[in-house]
Amino acid sequence: MLEPVMFTGGVYKHDLVMELVEDLGGYILQKNVTQSEVILLMLIPTEDMAAMKALISDLRGELVRAPLAGTEVAVVTPTLAIHHLPHTACDIAEYLRRNGAKSNMIGLARGAGREIAQINEYESMLINEHDAAVFIFGNFIECIRKKENLYRNISVPVVVTGGPAIPPKDLPYAFEYVPAVGRISHRAKKATEIGNLDNIIGAVGRALDRTRAEISKDPLTTSPPRVMDAVREQVPDVEYSFSPLPIALNLNGVRVKLPYDKYRDAVRAVRFDEGVSLGEIATIRPSRMKDYILVRIMPMSETGFIF
Amino acid sequence: MDPMEVFKIEIAGEEYGAKKYREIIMDILQDLGLIRSIGQLYVYVDIKKPVFAVYGLLRTGIPPLLVRDVADVAQASGGFQLKVNDEEHMADLLKALWAKYGRESVEQPSRDIVVVATDASPSDLAVTDLEAEFRQDLTDALVRVAPEGFRNRRNEMTENSFFFISAEDTLNPQLISEIKEKIRSMQNA
Repeated sequence: MLEPVMFTGGVYKHDLVMELVEDLGGYILQKNVTQSEVILLMLIPTEDMAAMKALISDLRGELVRAPLAGTEVAVVTPTLAIHHLPHTACDIAEYLRRNGAKSNMIGLARGAGREIAQINEYESMLINEHDAAVFIFGNFIECIRKKENLYRNISVPVVVTGGPAIPPKDLPYAFEYVPAVGRISHRAKKATEIGNLDNIIGAVGRALDRTRAEISKDPLTTSPPRVMDAVREQVPDVEYSFSPLPIALNLNGVRVKLPYDKYRDAVRAVRFDEGVSLGEIATIRPSRMKDYILVRIMPMSETGFIF
Repeated sequence: MDPMEVFKIEIAGEEYGAKKYREIIMDILQDLGLIRSIGQLYVYVDIKKPVFAVYGLLRTGIPPLLVRDVADVAQASGGFQLKVNDEEHMADLLKALWAKYGRESVEQPSRDIVVVATDASPSDLAVTDLEAEFRQDLTDALVRVAPEGFRNRRNEMTENSFFFISAEDTLNPQLISEIKEKIRSMQNA
């Protein structure tokens, strides 16, 4: 079992941490260098955690569990107007990021208003490429109920946030509803406000756990981090992608941030030690996000084997 | 305690929304520094229609900003020398001086000194109309406060009051007079 953790420490000797991750058979999901500090998101085998902790305490670094690592969460607001940004939406997106998720902010083109709010097919398909979505609504019960049609057709679990308390049975299409957030025109600073952000993280975590449980009933042919490693090794151009995270992990695949038309064959031809190619165990199709490549790993019931 | 004399907010069936909108309005008015200029504020929202209306009474009487308010005026050889104390209004001051005396008579030898070639003292010249600036800021605040998606707006400003209404549907005279009536009953309550 791999444990998602986040290392924060100095740049000096951080390559020792990276080497140890490789030796233990773990994966480095993301590396961020900010001047003299480095942040590593990693997956490490649970039984070897003690070795990693010992090294990191020698380096005077910090190791915390990042429960959302290796997932992508969409933070959806009805528009990108002043009513949602910067305070609520940015606070939630940043908090998801601190817990290890890759968060993408999405503002709907025509999501404003009560009667006139809409979502189009492209937007729903883009949100469906994520592992979970957080919809941020306002302070009126009536509007939150009415805006259900924005997320009714979303197939990933949707966590809805808003101001007033609403019983869960009133929002049957939401995975969970987190109250006391709503429209706020200042940054989250007070303990209660930070507590609300924790509630959102908790709800997203439960949503992802449900997806994980569903996947475990018919396991994927191979794990997404393994695909990420193989693509990184065999399609070296991915390192030249300008994106801060050239390969984004999902629970059921990866998104490779290279142009689809030029690189789809290279990605399809990626080979594993077991002798199969990525094209045989996964579907490779254009992502709705820019012109990236979306890789979805097939479950064991389709390929007939697992490695 | 609210710095306003009266601040009433009425949203039928939405106690939480009313409480939160009170906070939002205070935050925004404070951000834009308008809170001291508003005496009374009445907010009426009907989320079923949906419509959002604000009526306010202003504490008016902001005098126009004069040259002597922003600078020390002293007689100098060939005219008057102004030493600007409040640089925030430098651009407005220069604009006013250029308009009155022409560019060739106004000189700025250093950052905070302006020399005007004239016989009469410019100390009573108006630099800017603070009242107009306040009205612009107030309109901006009201647009920010209104819930998003309420794109049909109407703003009526008089000497000492303002009435702002916004809705999703077309605003018709009947709706406007109905809302005004509601606000009047809030005032009399």
